[in-house]
Amino acid sequence: MSTFLSQIANGLVLGSLIALIALGYTMVYGIITLINFAHGEIFMVGAYGGLATLTYILPTAVATTWYFALPIALVAGALVAMLVAVAMERFAYRPLRNAPRLAPLITALGVSVALQEAMRVFYPGATAALPFPNLFIEGAVVIPIGDGVVIRYTGILLIVVSLVLAFGLERFVERTRLGRAMRATSQDRDVARLMGIDPDRVIVLTFAIGGALAGVAGVLYGSYLRNVNIDMGFQNGIFAFTAAVLGGIGNIRGAVVGGLVIGLVKALGGQYLPGGTAYDYVWIFVVLIVVLVFRPQGFFGESERVRA
Amino acid sequence: MTATRTAPAEPVAPAPVRHTGRNAGMLNALAPFAKIGMVVGGVLSVLGAYLAWSTFVLNKGAFPERSTLTMFVEPLGVSGYRLHLTVLGIAVIVVALLRIPARHRIVRGLGLGITFVALLNGLWIIVEGGGFGAITASDGTVAFGAVVALVGGLVTVLFAQAGGLEPRPEWTWRLPWWAEWILLLVIFAIVLLLVAEVLTSGGQGGVVNPYAGVVFLSLLAALAGAFAALNASGLLGWVAVVSERHRVFSVVVLLVCALALPFTNAGTEYWMTVASNIGVYAATAIGLNIVVGLAGLLDLGYVAFLGIGAFVAANLSGAAASVIGIHLPFLLVMVISSVVAGMFGAIVGSPTLRVRGDYLAIVTLAFGEIFVRSAQNNIGSLTGGANAIPNIPQVAIGGLAFNESITIGAVRLPSGVLYYIAIVLLVSVVMLVFGNLKYSRLGRAWIAIREDEDAAAAMGIRTGPIKILAFLIGAMLAGLAGAFFAHKTGVVAYDSFRFLESVTLLSAVILGGMGTIPGAVLGASILFVLPEKLREFSDYRLLIFGLALVLIMRFRPQGIIPDRHRKAELADTDPEDVAREGPGALPTEVEP
Repeated sequence: MSTFLSQIANGLVLGSLIALIALGYTMVYGIITLINFAHGEIFMVGAYGGLATLTYILPTAVATTWYFALPIALVAGALVAMLVAVAMERFAYRPLRNAPRLAPLITALGVSVALQEAMRVFYPGATAALPFPNLFIEGAVVIPIGDGVVIRYTGILLIVVSLVLAFGLERFVERTRLGRAMRATSQDRDVARLMGIDPDRVIVLTFAIGGALAGVAGVLYGSYLRNVNIDMGFQNGIFAFTAAVLGGIGNIRGAVVGGLVIGLVKALGGQYLPGGTAYDYVWIFVVLIVVLVFRPQGFFGESERVRA
Repeated sequence: MTATRTAPAEPVAPAPVRHTGRNAGMLNALAPFAKIGMVVGGVLSVLGAYLAWSTFVLNKGAFPERSTLTMFVEPLGVSGYRLHLTVLGIAVIVVALLRIPARHRIVRGLGLGITFVALLNGLWIIVEGGGFGAITASDGTVAFGAVVALVGGLVTVLFAQAGGLEPRPEWTWRLPWWAEWILLLVIFAIVLLLVAEVLTSGGQGGVVNPYAGVVFLSLLAALAGAFAALNASGLLGWVAVVSERHRVFSVVVLLVCALALPFTNAGTEYWMTVASNIGVYAATAIGLNIVVGLAGLLDLGYVAFLGIGAFVAANLSGAAASVIGIHLPFLLVMVISSVVAGMFGAIVGSPTLRVRGDYLAIVTLAFGEIFVRSAQNNIGSLTGGANAIPNIPQVAIGGLAFNESITIGAVRLPSGVLYYIAIVLLVSVVMLVFGNLKYSRLGRAWIAIREDEDAAAAMGIRTGPIKILAFLIGAMLAGLAGAFFAHKTGVVAYDSFRFLESVTLLSAVILGGMGTIPGAVLGASILFVLPEKLREFSDYRLLIFGLALVLIMRFRPQGIIPDRHRKAELADTDPEDVAREGPGALPTEVEP
């Protein structure tokens, strides 16, 4: 029983992380129907941005005091990721705005490879995994069930931050003027333009928000797992994409639910399904295929719609 | 011989060119001086070639005593760029003074070649020689050859541009058939020798020889300049027309040329191995070209089929690590690998019945990842996991193992040459299959589906089975290549079939030109030769690769050899069209 609950806890932590990345995927797809493969790398770049701030910029005394280091690292990671995401939109995707479908998708692959390699070549020591400090209070909550279910404080932080940000994003999209502009652009870019909205600005804003969320996720990921490597973006990016599809792409609540489901599938699948943790990734991909084939609109998506 | 040309006749007095667009004013002001400017550029380039380039010691000795002397002895050595610049510069002067059609366009091509050769060598000298001191005055020597040649190249390009670029002329010469045959033979032979020279130029790269990469690039730039000039003169187009007229003959000669590569400079074990690997990926890329190029279905997990073919072959090869432990003849193994890969292809392709576009790409990516994960975990003890399946026996026919060197008369061919010949034949077969499929009823159905699936269905094409057939046939070709790969390398490990390999294959197809037969082969050759020649930049290989993908999509999405019939997907940039049919309805409402 306690194993089961521990895996549930692990799954929720991983799931809320994936949800945070999935928000960026889902927003970008919602607005320009682009599967932004490079979004996973934005997450990775954010983690390295946070790490660089802690290692090279902050004085040691500040970098080791969690209530200074945590907010600074989160903001730094978010900023770096946001800048990279905006630059990517400006230089790689915007020139292809009216190009046929395959072109931006292949560009996204190229950006993904280039970002990963740029980090590997230019970040000192990035050829191997780098240690990342824990940015929150050490220790864990122990829930006394069975042998005790252990959840680290960092994990709780991760869940709380993810849910708060997702909630805030939903409010933003629903209640603010800019949010309304985003929804309008995603429904019909040309009509939105007629209503006085500048779609280019809205698209940049979307990339910026998605990038910032991914950056936050990157720093939290590093803090939770205690290390970062350049491959982390690709894998988690695919998970996040799966989550976004699962919840119904373009849908914020769906992304969060999808992320949590993916986290639980990975944790529980690794524990209980044949093959153990060696195959936990495989189960996620199986879920992805099954969902895409049988319910491509996801949990919260609309009824049947042909996707060209 | 009668010569007619359809290009606009050269006016007796050059009509003033009116430039529009950016820098129009400057170009118009320079236009009257175009001829003299081009000559000056050419002279500067030749001059630059003979001035001192560096103030430090090259590997043949300090300039100018040793390096200059080697230039005509070793036209492809370190200082070969001097010869290239001289030839290109003289060509510029001659063409500028002649009255031939499209001469400004020809000169521009040559000038670009000069510019890149000067730039590459100059930059390399700066980097290797420790900063700008290497090409400016120091030790009493003024070494500004690089600067002069660069200026020469830029001046040439500028004035050629100012003179006005003419349309490319089309030549309609007809020679007797035997003369055209001889001509084609000579041209293909020259191409073969050039390929061999380019491959071996500068020697093998790496720690031993830091010059290899830049010598190779410089030679490539010089050749590209000459190529651009030939293209601008319309001669290349004419050769293409002639070879089209003698299609079967050209194909046979090309095959013979490919088989003759072991007899040239490149006939070393190293290049035989590289060429065999290129062959494997070229065959796989052609298979992918069916799925992506013809049927328009993006497959991001394609390398898995190569892997499946390789693992099947490894298990049937009698390797000690295989659990099946039987040893079948190589040809039978190839057939089985191909069939098994084809079956998996049909399975992976089956979601196409329900899923389209981006979502299909993701489904194929997921299948690819599942394959890699399963192989990594040694699923069913079939893949050896992290230990791989090593020691796969060599292919042997009648006691002659394929990795041995063979001797024909006085010529000793390097080891691996039999594999090379086998892969050349395999690629030829695959190309033949592709070529025939493309123009068959099935191929036309694929293209129809690619252009508009709903319209194709309305025309009575059974889109479902035909799309699955694309996956099946493509996977079979990859499976064939995989079986060959397993025997050639002797080791099959899951690591060779990761996502990045799929991206590389896709890039090969896109770089060469989607949907064309030579495109995939050319793309695969470029993507696998460049890393071999540019070892000293190997750290940046993938970075450059990623950026190149972005740039190709931005500036030449149709690839090096564009498909004549291809309109939609990548070449189509009509915004109206996209706005109308576009990315489809957006399922994007945020929940109220």
